[in-house]
Amino acid sequence: MPRFRDYYKQFEAMDPEEVSAELRARRDEEKRRALSRVEPLDLTGAGWFEPPHPEAVNAATFALRRALNTYADVAPVREAVAARFGLEPEQVALGHGAGELLRALLPAAGDVHVGWPGWQPLPDLVTAAGGHAMPVPPDAPAGDAATIVLTSPSDTAGAVLPRAAIEALCEQAGHATVIVDEALAEFAEPGGGAATLVGELPNLVVVRSFSKGHAMAGLRAGAALGPPELVERLAPSGGLSAPAAAAVAWAVSDRGAEVAARRRAAAATLHEQLADGLEGTSFHAARAGMPFAWIASGDEDGPAISGRLATRQVFVAPGTLWGDRDHVRAQLRGPAGVERLISALTS
Amino acid sequence: MPRNDPTDTGGLFIGRRPGTAPLQYRTPPEEGSGRRRRADGMLAAGVLALETLVVLSLWGPQPLAWLWVGSQVDYRTDSVMLGITVAFIGLIGSMILTLMLATRLDHLWRLIRRAAGHDQRDGVLARIFMVTAIVAAIAFTFWLVVLQGPAPSMAPR
Repeated sequence: MPRFRDYYKQFEAMDPEEVSAELRARRDEEKRRALSRVEPLDLTGAGWFEPPHPEAVNAATFALRRALNTYADVAPVREAVAARFGLEPEQVALGHGAGELLRALLPAAGDVHVGWPGWQPLPDLVTAAGGHAMPVPPDAPAGDAATIVLTSPSDTAGAVLPRAAIEALCEQAGHATVIVDEALAEFAEPGGGAATLVGELPNLVVVRSFSKGHAMAGLRAGAALGPPELVERLAPSGGLSAPAAAAVAWAVSDRGAEVAARRRAAAATLHEQLADGLEGTSFHAARAGMPFAWIASGDEDGPAISGRLATRQVFVAPGTLWGDRDHVRAQLRGPAGVERLISALTS
Repeated sequence: MPRNDPTDTGGLFIGRRPGTAPLQYRTPPEEGSGRRRRADGMLAAGVLALETLVVLSLWGPQPLAWLWVGSQVDYRTDSVMLGITVAFIGLIGSMILTLMLATRLDHLWRLIRRAAGHDQRDGVLARIFMVTAIVAAIAFTFWLVVLQGPAPSMAPR
């Protein structure tokens, strides 16, 4: 009899309340899991974390919707860039990004002194061009190298080479070309860059990027500032694309400079937030105002820090990329990103 | 055919029509063989017949039985009021018990119908109640007007 009853009992449906309770429990479980899922946070970059300013995008879009069947007229943009740095247009070459301009400047043979730590791909660029990269401290004597490449502010601690040091180096270098990569100059104190020395020093070329401070890496635009005989061969034959030229024109306008200054201030605030968050811990970060932080710990080495952060889905650039085992470099991705970085570091 | 078919719903519901959710079992039931299902089909018919009889009893046998009980009480105690009270309370009580029994039978009928392979979601008690009430009303009217005739005051002398 019990078996007989059980047979029919199995056709008993769950009542709607019971079904709803089960659905609610399933939804709650899904929510709980959704909250516990941690999205990866990529902090390996060195540029400003936000997209380009809407006005830059508007300028590029406006250019894109006009006469794309003709070459863009780069001359006004070149004049605007020259005016921004107090130079003549002949002293400016616009190219497809700072990296491209740097590669074009590098010699096809011989030693190249690369101020280290510097822009991380630099040694590879030198090798690709045919030269031999020799890492040297940024303030090292020029020696007999035909080309010296420096990065200021540096890609790691954000150290800025003083104008006097650059002047001294250029004078000491004699006929050697001194190239200063100022891709991160928007985040340094205004007025201290090497760009203003270009007119005074015949062997100095300064390379500026629009990828970091203006976050326009996708547009591939950069500028080389230097003596006409050195920079005239750098410009690409067809010039810049129309959208890139329009965005660059906006970036060197007063409005672009204002936005860059605002980002510099925001980066400083993020550094303050990071310093406050790490106070009392074994971590310390260089406060250079860059859009990234160069972090070290008294208890752990760099690989241990980056490995521990990776387990928390926070990915940073290990200092070993620059031959430094004590530090990691972490991009400051806004207040929420910094908060998560602090939490991942200190948890 | 799904019950949210637009021809069923007049196209009023884009999603599932309210109250047409599929049956949810705690564990998928193990259905019996074809023979077992046929037997279940007959058993379901039997339960339905029983349920109908039980409900039908509300409209004739039970009131009559309680009227008889009431008359017996009146006869034995010589109290009309007591007879009426006993008949009334007894009728209400037996109606409640009958409906409880009918509800259980209806539930049993649903389970057996599902065991017989039908997608039986709802019971049939409400419909039986309505149909038997109509049948009983017609039967009572027929008895009152045709068989028993008009009231004594109107009857031919």
